[in-house]
Amino acid sequence: MNGIILFGLLVALMLTGMPVSIALGLTVLTFIFGFTEVPAQSVALKLFTGLENFEIMAIPFFILAGNFLTHGGVARRMIAFATSLVGHWNGGLGLAAVLACALFAALSGSSPACVIAIGSILMPAMVKAGFPPRFGAGVITTSGALGILIPPSIVMVMYSVSTNTSVGQLFIAGVVPGILLATMLGLTTWYRARKNNYPRQPRASWAERFTAFRKSVWGLLLIVVVMGGIYTGLFTPTEAAAMAAVYSFFIAVFVYRDLTIKDVPRVLLASANMSAMLLYIITNAVLFSFVLSNERIPQQLADWLITMGLGPVGFLLVVNLLLLIAGNVMEPSSIVLIMAPILFPVAVKLGVDPVHFGILIVVNMEVGMCHPPVGLNLYVASGITKMGITELTVAVWPWLLTMLVFLGLVTYWPTMSLWLPRLMAH
Amino acid sequence: MRALRVLDHLEEWFIAALMGVATVIVFVAVVHRYLSGMAIPGLQDWLLSLNVSWAQEATIYLFVWMAKFGAAYGVRTGIHVGVDVFINRMQSRTRARFVLFGLLAGVVFTGTIAALGARFVWDNGAHYAIFHAVGLDVEGLSTGPTTPDLEWPTWVIYLAIPLGSALMCFRFLQVAWSFSRTGELPKHDHAFVEGLDEVTPLDTAPAKP
Repeated sequence: MNGIILFGLLVALMLTGMPVSIALGLTVLTFIFGFTEVPAQSVALKLFTGLENFEIMAIPFFILAGNFLTHGGVARRMIAFATSLVGHWNGGLGLAAVLACALFAALSGSSPACVIAIGSILMPAMVKAGFPPRFGAGVITTSGALGILIPPSIVMVMYSVSTNTSVGQLFIAGVVPGILLATMLGLTTWYRARKNNYPRQPRASWAERFTAFRKSVWGLLLIVVVMGGIYTGLFTPTEAAAMAAVYSFFIAVFVYRDLTIKDVPRVLLASANMSAMLLYIITNAVLFSFVLSNERIPQQLADWLITMGLGPVGFLLVVNLLLLIAGNVMEPSSIVLIMAPILFPVAVKLGVDPVHFGILIVVNMEVGMCHPPVGLNLYVASGITKMGITELTVAVWPWLLTMLVFLGLVTYWPTMSLWLPRLMAH
Repeated sequence: MRALRVLDHLEEWFIAALMGVATVIVFVAVVHRYLSGMAIPGLQDWLLSLNVSWAQEATIYLFVWMAKFGAAYGVRTGIHVGVDVFINRMQSRTRARFVLFGLLAGVVFTGTIAALGARFVWDNGAHYAIFHAVGLDVEGLSTGPTTPDLEWPTWVIYLAIPLGSALMCFRFLQVAWSFSRTGELPKHDHAFVEGLDEVTPLDTAPAKP
């Protein structure tokens, strides 16, 4: 009963269009003062301690690193490297876009950052080379989504914060699905390009490939620093994020000179603005999930689902549908922070692996980012390509369909996500 | 409204600085950890004599402050997004009412939190510290807990919540006031692509069909 009041209140408040964080907070306050005996003192304490978690602090650092990297230099060299490798196949620049997005995703924890960094450079190049704008826009919008699946990933940090799953494990688990999704998106690109006979680039020689590699080595090295550091245990994920921020500041200002020292305060402010917004949602979501678990709502839901005879297969199907629907109205971080605390205990009770469940949620978020009405990638791509949202929606569908097939694979083939973390554990 | 502009700038500098300082602290702590493991004569002894165990705690507190004041700045830049797909389809008069309702909800929530937070801080050491400082009777008052590594009184750290929330409440009031007069909201364009015009397109070899 309390569960219905809580969620009813939350949904009603959210539908008025107020910020998600405020809706969460007001729901908690109303509930505490009106419906329950939760001691207000313990809620007040939660308000203070909700953010006192070093792992959460990876989020501002990754955002800062991302903001230093979107300024061109790193992305342009990565694109040149990717083009030298795959440009001579069918749909050359399209394939290069997928590969460059996958590489950039290994530096950046956010999807829109990938779309901006890769799209703003490759999109004009693709149009100039003779690709229809729709094709380019479709490739870049959807490949950009790799940003949150290929580690590091801000959404994974959010999931780990709200479910106490290890960030390191999630990061490792994202690698194989990320590579597979990149391959599938690449295949779709290749197939459509071959069918329509889109232009190819001249084949690069091995010497040219090596030159392109050497030029992009600063960016590629960051992948080694971040992922290598986390996997070998040199850094915690938060420390790795801070190292990435300092490193990308260094390349952007001193090596590639995309920015001058005078630009740095502006980048810091923009990153602080974005981070504070996310941290504010987290604080209020922590309050909300505290009240949820205090009322034992997730446990009740789990018991109810089990008495209904819903097994893991049915449950995961329901979760996918629920998240895809939620992806129509909300941003990924809010969805993860609101849904994960309630769905996670059920998943665990049904024997779904926490890490696998996290990857599944991330893939759902990727799909949500690529379709209207709130798909952020779509809006970013629309800013770059100057195409309307309706036209872009049509443009992305072949790749979106690929992503849905991939979602099915991720859902019912847990080994794909769990193979690498298990291998590394031995 | 010069005072307001000073406040705006102060707010911006404050959160940008917190962000920068936190990054530098973690970086230095990590470098310190690895350098002090290397047997460099002289340097190693000096590094080992430095204590950086407080770095992690300090970073958390810097970011807590950054988050609270940044959230207030975010109201001004319109970065706090909600589910607006439904109200955006309504007639502009109805929509305006909902927007105003949302802003006032923000005022109510942040105002309540500021009050709750102020009381919590007062009961957990601020009362003692202030009375003690001005030489009043502190009989029976709690000195409040201190943080584990830095050993600062926690109420100083937690002051971020009443102060940040009060500022945020003020920002919501400001935005609501200007919205009711001009019908305009600060809008953070998440799709804005910075530096796009300066980006030179990739040089690609002429394509062959």
